[in-house]
Amino acid sequence: MDEANAIAEAAAEGAAPKGGLLGLLPEDGILGRLFTMDAALTAIRVVLAIVLGAVAVGVIVTLIRRVTVKRMDARTSGLIVKVAQYLGLALIAVNALDAAKVNLSGLLGAAGIAGIALGFAAQTTVSNFISGFFLVSEKTFSIGDVITIEGSTGVVYSVDALSIKLRSFDNQLMRIPNEALIKAKVTNITRFPARRLNINLLVTYDTDMDRLRTALLDLAAANQFVLRKPEPLYMIQRFGDNGVELLFGVWLAKDDWVSGNNSVLADIKRRFEAEGIEFAFPTRTVYAKAQAVEPLPPPRSRKKPAAKA
Amino acid sequence: MIWRSWPVPRNEGTAVHRIGDATMCVSIEQAGDGDVLAALVRYAEDEAPGARRAPQLALPPLDDPAWSRYYMGKADHYELEPGYPDIPVCVRLHEPFRIPPGADLRGWIFSHLEAKLKVSQAIAGTFPLKKPFKTLYGSPDAGVICRYDEADFLASDEPATAALHEDPSLVAHPVRLRNSSSEPVLVEELCIYGEQLSVFGVDRRMQSERLIFAFNSSGVRMSLEGQGALPPGAKLLSRPTVSGEERFIERSFELFKAITRI
Repeated sequence: MDEANAIAEAAAEGAAPKGGLLGLLPEDGILGRLFTMDAALTAIRVVLAIVLGAVAVGVIVTLIRRVTVKRMDARTSGLIVKVAQYLGLALIAVNALDAAKVNLSGLLGAAGIAGIALGFAAQTTVSNFISGFFLVSEKTFSIGDVITIEGSTGVVYSVDALSIKLRSFDNQLMRIPNEALIKAKVTNITRFPARRLNINLLVTYDTDMDRLRTALLDLAAANQFVLRKPEPLYMIQRFGDNGVELLFGVWLAKDDWVSGNNSVLADIKRRFEAEGIEFAFPTRTVYAKAQAVEPLPPPRSRKKPAAKA
Repeated sequence: MIWRSWPVPRNEGTAVHRIGDATMCVSIEQAGDGDVLAALVRYAEDEAPGARRAPQLALPPLDDPAWSRYYMGKADHYELEPGYPDIPVCVRLHEPFRIPPGADLRGWIFSHLEAKLKVSQAIAGTFPLKKPFKTLYGSPDAGVICRYDEADFLASDEPATAALHEDPSLVAHPVRLRNSSSEPVLVEELCIYGEQLSVFGVDRRMQSERLIFAFNSSGVRMSLEGQGALPPGAKLLSRPTVSGEERFIERSFELFKAITRI
């Protein structure tokens, strides 16, 4: 019986390949110990997990992009796609590690500690990223809007996970972190379809106010850029130091803002010149009052004390 | 009929087309191997009040920016085609009126067309036939910028209706106003989405499909109620640029976005 067992063991040893990778590498060498059949199978599983995962994530992200681009604004769509990409990458990584038979529980513990360290290091980045979500939910602006942030005005050029980029009107690129946008006062100039152009006028006190009102409303009615509705605003604001101050407001479509602005201001100047209405400038009125003036008393001469002998 | 193909006025000065109160001038300039078509529109309201229309128009030189220019190559003809503005038209009624709950009114309103100048089926220029003023339909935060127009709501048998039908710069819209709300509605203006409408015409008379303006508690909505009764011999001169279904889907998405704030 022992003899038979010994023969069977010898046969089995003879049948099994010696060394790593079907016996191509020496069994006792470093490469032989590393590149075993088992390791090769694990490597194939890892590669498959990565390749198939990448394909699946690619398909899903493409679908999400197509759906969101049609139905949402560029900012929301971009953020959703980015989140889907990051989630997909994380899933691929976890799947690949699982295929490599890496104990994920230990890795997750280490990842927790690393996460805390990274959290401190990437505080600003994370803050910007999360701020991006709040900005999306508020829908304050989108690509193509003209916005003003802390004195900087420009067209929203791109909206990214961490920042937005503005193109100023003199063609400079400004990067504004999302975190700053959450804290700052943001004015969206082109959000609504129409804007009121407020024109502060100062006219001399001898102006006929009825004629002035008629002239302003007439020129607004004749100007092609001025919207017929809402109607122009005419308001006398106060009697100022230098003349009558008034506010004249006309509504313009947001796309006609620059042309309308130039056209209306030029029309006002032309019309005032034609009507003889004068713009007031800082003036000072000096009244010369005729009054009997008493002659001044003659200066008293101070007597010098007599010099002592 | 003004809306047809016209020979290019080579060596003939300027071709003048009078369309309602607008005068459209078309001229040709030699440019290398082909020709440049130049066109402009003059409006009656720009002429001095009380002045008689001059028999000979005083036109600016062809290099003046008032002319719209288009390289037309060796083409022999250009076409004039009626069309609607590329933005909605807000027709303000001269005399606003109230319609009681449940009422269903039928009548006519007229709006101004645009002249599309085409060369070999390509649009060389678009010219409003009335000075193109704009207005805001709705509130300043959610309104729509529209072309401004004014009209009366007319019954079919009014003499004014027949007179307006003879103006080739106007298109007649058969209109039905329906108040399905429980309150009377004041009708001051009507917003027409021309992109959904066709132009049918014969001689000087232009007409669109029948429009329904349905007033309810949530607002007013324009829709089409088929072609309606067309004048005898009328043929299709211009097709809609957007189908009603497309517009419906687009509006549904807008509504969905407004509700869900996505």
